[in-house]
Amino acid sequence: MDWQLLSLSFVTVFLAEIGDKSQLAAIALSGSSRSPQAVFLGTVTALVLASFVGVIIGEGVAAFLPAKLLKAGAAIGFALLALGILMNPED
Amino acid sequence: MRCLNWVRLPPCKSQRKVRYTSLEFSPPKPVTVSEPLPNNPDGVDSSSIDTPKRGKSFWATCTSTFLTILLAEMGDKTQLATLLITAESHRPWIVFAGAATALIATSLIGVALGWWLARRVSPKVMDLAAAAMLMTVAVLLLWDIVGM
Repeated sequence: MDWQLLSLSFVTVFLAEIGDKSQLAAIALSGSSRSPQAVFLGTVTALVLASFVGVIIGEGVAAFLPAKLLKAGAAIGFALLALGILMNPED
Repeated sequence: MRCLNWVRLPPCKSQRKVRYTSLEFSPPKPVTVSEPLPNNPDGVDSSSIDTPKRGKSFWATCTSTFLTILLAEMGDKTQLATLLITAESHRPWIVFAGAATALIATSLIGVALGWWLARRVSPKVMDLAAAAMLMTVAVLLLWDIVGM
């Protein structure tokens, strides 16, 4: 087991993600949702899958990722989630 | 009320208005409730009926969170970092193990922070703050697209 490589990737990813967009989204979504467990499960699955894809591409599997299109989709999704919270008639 | 045991729901939310997810059992119906509404055959008190947003079930919340965060992270710097470390080391599983552990840790911190905030801030303020944060995330993503 290459502990140096393991800790390198852990520290790199940890520092890159602390205070990043997805963590901000996780704070907002779990704070306004009834089920933080669901938010945690969704966040972890998405992030682990995204890093898995990164690892696979890094190993040389050719893949085309329209990152701009994906990010635009995510931006619309987050804006819709925000509007959903604001337009909630109760409270 | 039976609920998931591994994370307890924020007390202020359950006190403010009792809501039941699909994973919880409905409480016994109070006998005093006169008659069920026509579109409410179970006779459950209408205050516990799910509203479009808060009433989102466990899996609806999970799926919307999953999809938005997956789209946001694809091609993002974290993914590029794992990609580059793997390309250099050719040890994909060790890199994946390190990255996955880090991501589980950061999401746990994020979700715990949101849960902690929700118990201390009024629901209205929390909702406004959450909406503002999600809008910020949307703007940051658009900013990324412009800078690409």
